[in-house]
Amino acid sequence: MTRLAQALDSRRIILCVGSGGVGKTTTAAALAVEAARRGRRTAVLTVDPSHRLKDALGLGSLSSKPRRVPLASIGARGAHLDALLLDVKRTFDELVLALAGSPEQARAVLENRLYQNLSGTLAGTAEYMAVEQVYRLAEEGGYDLLVVDTPPARHAVDFLDAPRRLARLLDSRAFAILKDPTSILPAAGSRLAHMILAAVLRGLERFTGIGLVREVGDFVRVIEDLTGALRARVAAVGALLRSAGTAPLLVTAPEPRLVTETETLARALAEMGLTIDGIVVNRALPLGTFGRTAPDPGPPAGASPALAARLARSWADLRALAARQEATLAPLVASAGAPVVAEVPLLPTDPGSLADLVEIGRHLFPESAPAATPARGLRG
Amino acid sequence: MTARVPPRLPLASQRLLVVTGKGGVGKTTVAAALARAVADAGRRVLAVEVGRGPLGTLLGATRLGVEPTRIAPGLSAATIEPEQALADFVEGVLRFRVLARRLLESTSFQVLAAAAPGLGEFLVLQRVLGWIEARRLGRPVHDLVVVDAPASGHSLPLLAAPRTLGALARIGPIAELLGKLERLLADPGATLVCVVTTPEELAVRETVELHREIVRGLGLAVAPPIVNALPPRHLTAADAESVDRLEAAVGDHPYVRAARFQLERRRQADVQIAVLRKAVGAAPIRLPFLFATPEEPAGVATLAQALAGAAGLAA
Repeated sequence: MTRLAQALDSRRIILCVGSGGVGKTTTAAALAVEAARRGRRTAVLTVDPSHRLKDALGLGSLSSKPRRVPLASIGARGAHLDALLLDVKRTFDELVLALAGSPEQARAVLENRLYQNLSGTLAGTAEYMAVEQVYRLAEEGGYDLLVVDTPPARHAVDFLDAPRRLARLLDSRAFAILKDPTSILPAAGSRLAHMILAAVLRGLERFTGIGLVREVGDFVRVIEDLTGALRARVAAVGALLRSAGTAPLLVTAPEPRLVTETETLARALAEMGLTIDGIVVNRALPLGTFGRTAPDPGPPAGASPALAARLARSWADLRALAARQEATLAPLVASAGAPVVAEVPLLPTDPGSLADLVEIGRHLFPESAPAATPARGLRG
Repeated sequence: MTARVPPRLPLASQRLLVVTGKGGVGKTTVAAALARAVADAGRRVLAVEVGRGPLGTLLGATRLGVEPTRIAPGLSAATIEPEQALADFVEGVLRFRVLARRLLESTSFQVLAAAAPGLGEFLVLQRVLGWIEARRLGRPVHDLVVVDAPASGHSLPLLAAPRTLGALARIGPIAELLGKLERLLADPGATLVCVVTTPEELAVRETVELHREIVRGLGLAVAPPIVNALPPRHLTAADAESVDRLEAAVGDHPYVRAARFQLERRRQADVQIAVLRKAVGAAPIRLPFLFATPEEPAGVATLAQALAGAAGLAA
């Protein structure tokens, strides 16, 4: 069994990470369909599916509530697959309401003028809410496997790192300092320090015209009572992401821009204790047909000279693309520090049906390939 | 909405061009090509990136500095480091270096700075304004500043910053600066926002949304969207039928596979261009898919030439 098939059969969470525009969402959907076919009770959480992919999953509208994907059309009647939207835009509000000791306390936080702004920018709270959604599903959803599509690279890091950063913020001196800005100064507490800083802050406020310092302090004071409950929850979510049951899978494509992006992503993931389990390379041209060493077959017999010239040009274009891919892939794999577990050929369009997803699954799991329907991509 | 999108890129008199788009569509490459094309047409251009990105490499320069570096005749480039900009700003306000540094190093100040609505964006715009206003011997040092702005979701806060922050700071020197920035951004004769996309469903959908936000939400002037990486049309619809006949006669053949693939890609791209055109009410500017050197200075030069023709930039 391949490494990818093993992950699909034994892990509890597969995290698809990678840059924007590499086909992460499609890969996540194809993995989930295959897992369900293999008999695991599966849910796929996607971030921003195309209309075609939603159609492929048989879901006109997708929401943050699980919806059952009808798999009968691909002959997997008993298989269980749910799909839902990972809502990264959801705010802190829900968490505040859940953790607040009283409705008055919740209102004091929610009505603070800076709260809206802070809850959006501070320590990636929106990302944290999305991770929290994964946690709740893993704990209470009754699934064997969650396949999670993450936001594009830079945000994937914010997303996965959200529990740790939020915990660090809660533990940092920042909260305390914000209530008492004079503790910035070394001799905190001294009357002189107080006077100097108060003068500086007043000057800053007068110059900027913003009563910011005081307002942030107010905000911190009202939210402080919630931090104990929040801290415990954040730790549990972080532990789940780093546990052995979670397999981070890098989805990428052989494009030059992705080499440095992948390097940055792999480093950031390592820093937060996540090791990439394997790499899925999308949009790979078959080198047997278009690679450097593949011979030019010459135009097919029967083509007019004019058509033959146009066909040759179109073939040469793909050959140039294949050369670029060949040069890119090695440094890309090296920077990710994980093995390539599957290659999926460049497809002319997004998948538009479950059969298309099953077809992609065949490339992801060649060993379990059932009877083939005509391939849509560029066969090798 | 329709009336606001000009048919071409009127960059003969503009002072600021903000380039944005979904991640991965080639935004920075197109920003570099735009800067090069306008410089080639005879205007003095400053290309600016926010944070450390590939802009310098794409323009054939080594590392960019926080002050403009001359790259070619009429073309300079610089980077804006948000942290550096914050440090400069705080030092300017406090006038005591030691105190400023201590303040900047404290976690709480970082939290404060992150919380201040639009502060980071304001600092970026403030630097851009400085370069636009810079004059030497009675004339502007840079005719046009091209900003490679953050990707879609993050470009809106940048463009909205003068208004967001303006609601908080009503008096004082900052308020004055904000007013100046708001007037610059809102003047269609001075500022254009240009959204880059690829002819793919998700990117086009995001572009349409972004366009709507910029035009209706912020009331700023937009350029026609730029569709990057358009697959070539070597083969026609009539060729498609010939390819069918060939395949029936000779069976599987690498040329036939390549042809089918390219025909399908172009067909899909044309569908998306039609969607985009209808939604924004203007024909997009098209740039070709580069098979060989898309993320290198040679590729930027090719795109700059294509822009000079398509956008009517030729001197």
